[in-house]
Order: sequence, then structure tokens, then C-alpha cells
Amino acid sequence: MTGERHISIMGLPSSGKTTFLAALWHMIRETGANTELSFDQLSEGNYEHLNALARRWRFGLIQQRTQVSGARAVTMRLKDTDGRKAEVSFPDLPGEDFSHMWERRELDKGMLETLKAPLVVLMINGDTIRMPAWVAEWTTLAKKMGSKPANKEIVEWKAEVAPTQVKVVDLLQMLMSGDLKIGGRRLALLISAWDKVEGEGLTPAQVLQSKLPLLNQYLQSGRDPWTWEVWGISAQGGQYEDPDKDENFAETEKLRDLERASDRIKVIEEACISSDITKPLKWLIG
Amino acid sequence: MATQQLTCDNADCNFASDGKCVEGYEIRECPHMESLSLDDIPEAEESRTPLVKPETTIALASGEALDRVDTSLLQRRNVSRSIGLIGPNDAGKTSLIAGVFDLFQMGAQAGAQFAGSSTLIGFERVCHLARVVSQISVPHTERTSRGAEPTFFHLDVHQEQIGLISVFISDRSGEDYLAANDQISQADQFFEIRRADCITLLVNGAQLADSKLRHEVKATTPQIVDALIEAGAIRRGCRLAIVLTKKDSVMASTNRDRVERDFDGLVASISRAHSASLGEVKSFVVAASPKETEHVTKGEGVADLLLYWLQPNIPVASISVGEFPEFERMIDLLTDTEGWK
Repeated sequence: MTGERHISIMGLPSSGKTTFLAALWHMIRETGANTELSFDQLSEGNYEHLNALARRWRFGLIQQRTQVSGARAVTMRLKDTDGRKAEVSFPDLPGEDFSHMWERRELDKGMLETLKAPLVVLMINGDTIRMPAWVAEWTTLAKKMGSKPANKEIVEWKAEVAPTQVKVVDLLQMLMSGDLKIGGRRLALLISAWDKVEGEGLTPAQVLQSKLPLLNQYLQSGRDPWTWEVWGISAQGGQYEDPDKDENFAETEKLRDLERASDRIKVIEEACISSDITKPLKWLIG
Repeated sequence: MATQQLTCDNADCNFASDGKCVEGYEIRECPHMESLSLDDIPEAEESRTPLVKPETTIALASGEALDRVDTSLLQRRNVSRSIGLIGPNDAGKTSLIAGVFDLFQMGAQAGAQFAGSSTLIGFERVCHLARVVSQISVPHTERTSRGAEPTFFHLDVHQEQIGLISVFISDRSGEDYLAANDQISQADQFFEIRRADCITLLVNGAQLADSKLRHEVKATTPQIVDALIEAGAIRRGCRLAIVLTKKDSVMASTNRDRVERDFDGLVASISRAHSASLGEVKSFVVAASPKETEHVTKGEGVADLLLYWLQPNIPVASISVGEFPEFERMIDLLTDTEGWK
């Protein structure tokens, strides 16, 4: 684990990419934090963006949407428990860039380098997975409940209404073909907003199987050379407040009351729960 | 070279009209005289050559159903099976294509896993009008345009013991296939049928249950196969799946026993007539995109058909001429189906 490593963080809009970066930057610099990867030293880069994200995260405020004009390069110098060092860069790309790849079938040339990173973090918001639902089943259900289906205006097809799993599978296929094809890659699949998902008592692998079965099959099949693992992650631990809406939640207050800010973080790997947000990155870097 | 004109900046001078300097200077020596280059005059907006902007985006694969050329290219990548879907219009070809993809949206099917697809946009398009998000009240699929070149839907399927197989399902208008009944030479254009490993003939269950339409279905369906074989459009030894579609409509009909008999009769007559040309003939009953799920489950029977598509063809040499190909009676297919009883 030495040298420069480029990790691409990908995900559709509101998948939690920026919150992940905020929590990561806070945790690796938190005094006394016990993590598989830790902060090594500052480099020449500008840390204003990362510091602002971490500050907002500590306050318990939701992150602002990542600006839609290009990537912000974020670089961290990390070391593992054996003292081996690596410089890890994460371009903080807006989720819209990824949804445009599915919807418009094009890619901004500026994203090319980012998307060719051999190490990929793919985030999927576990709370907003859009699953396919069929008219036939709804009609039968409505009939049983004695209600008549409302006559609504038919919605024309557009790519954005596709189920989450279809969009994500195509995104991964794109990374394995054409100009983006670089051969085998490592993929850390993070199901975010785990605090909203955990009530169902499923492991991350079970969530993948039950809520994203198409994606699960694609990865399991091994058609494309992904080496992958799945984690559940709650980078906030619960609901954060939106200052623009003057929100005040008891849940956020509870999170602020925790001894260490990093105690808010939950990282789930099979049945193991920890607050070490660097685990997926350590697995990626090897 | 730039052309130059002379102008005078003295407001009292009439040089522009009489060509003389008001102060009596020789024109070349006048301090008010300026040369005006034509290069300095901005060109009219419309004559300006548009700037060629450097390309800032990279086009990604369209994700739409494939044409013939792209299908051929993909077929070289893996072991593949080409499926030729035939049947009159409204037999449910597009619904079946959508139904196969929708099955994988729910999970692996009898050990067959979704492994990828180059036509996800195409699949999503044909699935839309059976989805709640469309706000439609009764599932529907768009009709394939008559006379258009066929397109191909692509699915990579992985099976534990077998590995990866690419499946290509053709989609052409049912009217085009019916036209071969009127003029056999029409069948020459059906290249997707000639290259098929498994022809899948769809029989409209809803129409077979309808007393007014059933005889038309019984007459025209075998005629399509007759015409294709007569024209040499189906290759020797090709497997034939005969599929009764719209099982939900059959189940809701009071004529379902009659539909069983009619369908079994159809399968038997096609098997008898073409035993020398075809490989195995097998029948299926599906509810790929039912209107409701009271008597059937969504996608019922489609997984069995998919597994059949994935099977390899029997080598032509081992097909014994004159022997009837095997087929199952519809009643045998339904013995373990609770809903039918």
C-alpha cells in the first residue's frame, strides 16, 4: 500500500457521496480515532472544501448539493496500521453527472480520468431505491381492497423513471466498455442511509439481493471483471437538519450528544458493525 | 491584401464629397486624413464563419434495441442463442420480450442469472406501459411498426454449470410475418428467422378464447410456419417453441377447455406437418404481461421458455427424418398449475 491511489466515488444524485467524504475527513483527523486507515499529513493541496464539509457534518447539518459544474478534486494522505502510506484522491462529482450518463448516453470528457480509476466506491441510497412495480399486481390489489384505479394521464417513457438497479447496472457496464474500459477493477458497493434500512433486519448482502436483485445478479455472474464487496453505511447515524428550513430534530440533537462525533457513523459488513468509515477504502487499496 | 480608403476627421472638410482638402493640403500631407482598412470594418453577422467548438462529450452506447450489424458483432463475443419470435400482430411478442427482462428484475430464474445487457434502454422502453410509473390502468405494449427492419434485444445469462450465454431476441412486426402467407417471397427478408437457434411461435390466447376469432387464429398460425418452411426461411433442425400467450385472458374465459383442445390441436398439426424439417417442438403457456394477477402470476411460464431458449440445438445429423418431433400436450403443461383447475 504505497504510492498514489485514485478512488472514484460514484452514485446517482442524493446517494450520500459528499456526506461520506465529510465523515471520512472528520474521522481520520479525529483525535484518538481507531481506524484501519488514518491521516498521515497535509499536502500542498487546498483543504478548504473538505474542512467545510466536515464542519457542516459535525454541526449535524445536511450537505449542500455538490455543484453541478465539474469535479472538485479531494486528496488525502493516509497510512495504514503498519505505517504504509498512500495518497488517495477522490473527485467529488455531482450525482447528476452519473444520471446523465444513463439518460443522455453521453459523458463529459472532463470525467474521463475520474471514471477510469481502478478503485471505485459506488454509493446507493438504501432509503430511496426505486423498485419496479407492475400495474397488474396493483390492479389486483386494488380490486381486493374494493377500490377502483384512478384514471390518470399516461406518463410517457423517459429514462429517468427507470428502476435504480437498471441505472446502476448500466453505469457499471459503461465503466467496463468503450473509452472507460481499463480491465479489472475493485468495487466497494456502499448502501447508504443504513439507519433507514436497518429496521428490516437484513445484512447489506441481503438488501442487495432483495432490493437490487438485477444488480446482485450482474455482479454475481462475473461477466465483467469486478472484484467487489458490499457494505451498509450510515455516515450521519440519523437525520440531519436543513438550516435553510429551520429544522430542529430531537434525533439530530441526540447525535450531537454522543461522546465523539464519529460515534454517529455505522459501517456494516455482514453481521459486524463498527464506526470505522475507512474499512471499505482499506479493502479497496489492499 | 487589405484595401484602403481615405477619410477626413475634420468636420468642416468636404473631402468625402468633393475630394478636396478644406485647409489646402495635398491629400497625402493632410494631418486629418486617415486611412481606413476594410479589415477594420466588422463583417455582417450572417457572413461570419461559425466557430467550431471542440467536442466536450463522449457518446456512450445508446442502450436501444440493436440493429443487424451490432447484433452480429456482439454475437461473436460469447456463446449465443438467437431467438426468432414470430406470430401475428397482437400475439404478444413485445410483451414477451418485456416479460423476460422483468423476470430478472425480480431475481434469478431457475439458476439462470442476469449477467448484463446492451439494450437496457430498449427493455425499459417496452416495459414502461406495464409499470405503475406510467400511470396506465391496463398494461399495454406498443405495437412494432410494420415494414421496419427487425431489432434485437440482448441479454447475457449466466448458469452455474454452463457459463455465459448471450441471448438475442428478434422483434419484427407481426404483420410482416402474416404477409408471408400472402406472398411467400416476403419470407426472403426474414434473416432473423434464418439465423435463429429457436423459433418461437406465439399463439394469442385471448383470441383463441374468443369464439369469433378462434378459427382465424387456428388457420393463420400454422400457415405462417408453413410459409416460412416452404420458403426455406427456417433452417433444418431448428427447435420450435409454440407459446400460448395471455394465459390470464384464457383463465378468465368460459372457453378455456376449448382453448386447451384448440392449442393442443395446433401444436400437434404443426409437429406432424413439419417433423422432417424441424428439431424438437415444445409448447409453453405464458402470462408475460397479464392485465391482473388474480388467476396467474406475472411472468408465469416465461422462465421455462427462457431455459428452453438457452438449450443448445440438437445436431442436424441426429434428427431422424420422418419421425414426429416430441411435443407436450397443453394439459400436461398445466397439471401442476393450481390456477387452471
